[in-house]
Amino acid sequence: MSEQPDTVIDVRNVVKTYDEGRTRALDGVNFQVERGEFVSITGPSGCGKSTLLHAIAALERPDSGTIYVNGDEITSQRDLSRYRARSIGLIFQLHNLLPNLTASENLQVPMYETDLSASARRRRAEELLALVDLGDKAGKRPTQLSGGERQRVAIARALANDPGIILADEPTGNLDSKAGQQAMAVLRNVQRQQAVTLVLVSHNRQIAAAADRTVYMLDGKIAEGDAAASERRA
Amino acid sequence: MSFTFFIFSNLLRQKVRTGLTVLGISIGITTVVALGIFVNSAKAATEELILAGGADFAVGRAGSADLTFSTLTADDLAALREYDEVEHVSGVLMAISKVGSNPYFFQFGIDPNDLDFFEAPLVEGETLAAGAENQIMLGDGAAGQLGAEIGDTVEIRDLSFVVVGIYDTGATTFDGGAILPLAAVQDYERKQGLVTLAYIHTRSGTEVQALADRIEEEHPNLATLVDLADVGDVDQGLQILDAVNLGITILAVFIGGIAVMNTMVMAVFERTREFGILRALGWRTRRILQMVLGEALLLCLIAAVFGSILAVALTQMIVLFPTVSAFITPHYTLDVFLRGLAVGISVALLGAIYPAYRAARLSPAQAIRYE
Ligand SMILES: Nc1ncnc2c1ncn2[C@@H]1O[C@H](COP(=O)(O)OP(=O)(O)OP(=O)(O)O)[C@@H](O)[C@H]1O
Ligand SMILES: [Mg+2]
Repeated sequence: MSEQPDTVIDVRNVVKTYDEGRTRALDGVNFQVERGEFVSITGPSGCGKSTLLHAIAALERPDSGTIYVNGDEITSQRDLSRYRARSIGLIFQLHNLLPNLTASENLQVPMYETDLSASARRRRAEELLALVDLGDKAGKRPTQLSGGERQRVAIARALANDPGIILADEPTGNLDSKAGQQAMAVLRNVQRQQAVTLVLVSHNRQIAAAADRTVYMLDGKIAEGDAAASERRA
Repeated sequence: MSFTFFIFSNLLRQKVRTGLTVLGISIGITTVVALGIFVNSAKAATEELILAGGADFAVGRAGSADLTFSTLTADDLAALREYDEVEHVSGVLMAISKVGSNPYFFQFGIDPNDLDFFEAPLVEGETLAAGAENQIMLGDGAAGQLGAEIGDTVEIRDLSFVVVGIYDTGATTFDGGAILPLAAVQDYERKQGLVTLAYIHTRSGTEVQALADRIEEEHPNLATLVDLADVGDVDQGLQILDAVNLGITILAVFIGGIAVMNTMVMAVFERTREFGILRALGWRTRRILQMVLGEALLLCLIAAVFGSILAVALTQMIVLFPTVSAFITPHYTLDVFLRGLAVGISVALLGAIYPAYRAARLSPAQAIRYE
């Protein structure tokens, strides 16, 4: 157990290398996030932002170091799929919706791993679509939606199983500024409403600035250490 | 949306590819099912033949290559008549030659006196007269095909026979052929004193199988035919058919399996990133496995249904040829369709195991980064 119960994400000395150690994607990262916090991560391409998010989402196992989420060390989790399904919601740069499914059906995909009935899944999907202002698009396929709308469906999908944490990797990276702002407003809104913890990677200063706190990364490290370099705005 | 429907909608993403794969597997299943139908029909025809005329069982020469090559002598018949349980023995000589347009016209030579026991229910006319030499009874199928009526003459081996009766036994082989005086058939076949099979009517209360076993034991050169399982003793043809059927089934499973594997490997590769996303959304590897296996299984079930329908259509078309319908009626038994289904399921499993394993083994982080 972590000492501070309000630290939701606690990354300690995490190292992740690729190519037999030649690439140090994460080089001793220390990073903490508190419950309900919105933290943005910025940094040059290749500095390890995505790798950090993947490590927190238990998609990638660190070479060394530990990651606590909600007080539990994630690598010791017996069932990582369950952890991913219930505790974490992921949003990617590309919406990654399944092209053969409608918006509502896409939202139900993560729910297969829960014991919701088919009708409960459909109801939950409708709820989520209303949350991202797409109540009228339930039956539309991704090709029938605008880029911004697709990304809002992806935001809703991340919320499907009511996770406490959302990890977003450049969610507006592929959108024009207006659609990006709209998607961010929706994301910000649901984050406040649902009191989820949000960690967001973005190159966009404006978007990064909207966060409670911004963290800079460089060469696989949090620049100058978490506390000193982060601007607290709270 | 149910998981099954989700799996089905994945198949519709590549309609042409799915369609072609289904078609390919269907053709394999059609072959297996149609062949199964014909093997069963041949078996049914043989079974009708060994239990013809209401006999309890038949006796042939042990070790004959084909049922119609079996030959029994008057001594054999006399030996059979020795048994107390045997009420009557009818010796029947079978011959096959071209009659009318049918090159495989079955002729059954029977002593007219035996027709009291050997049941060939008349629909018209009368039975062969005792001592008649140039009379013939036609099965209703043969009469229809030859367009012959009572009083007409039928040419067999340059001999003329007058139609005296038309019978209907319900057995395709019999009804597609004719019954003639035994002496006449023995004469033109040059098989004086010989018959093909002996049909045994037992006294009521006889344990048929026990009697048949005892006959075989006491006369090792005779084979008793109580049911289809015994036919192998006097006929290798059905065993060969069974072997061919099995060989083609195995071949169909492998060819189909490779087709499914090709399709599923492609489906898994092009959806690598998607599998990563699904894992990131919390899908267990087991659900990924279920999805890939499910897609293959659904593909093959559709092919099994389609292939079976095609097989029925095909067998129905083939019996439109009179020469085929003269000696075969398609028998649609559940087991051939189950065999088609089993081929479909085996093909799916064989073809999907490797792609499913590949899909389940993908590292989610790598898959997400996959372009
Ligand atoms: N599977 C991999 N194999 C080898 N190297 C990798 C792999 N994944 C990431 N890397 C390397 O690790 C480093 C960090 O990558 P990461 O994707 O985390 O960067 P990033 O900060 O998200 O960059 P960007 O802003 O361009 O998305 C990079 O140098 C990258 O090339
Ligand atoms: Mg990145």
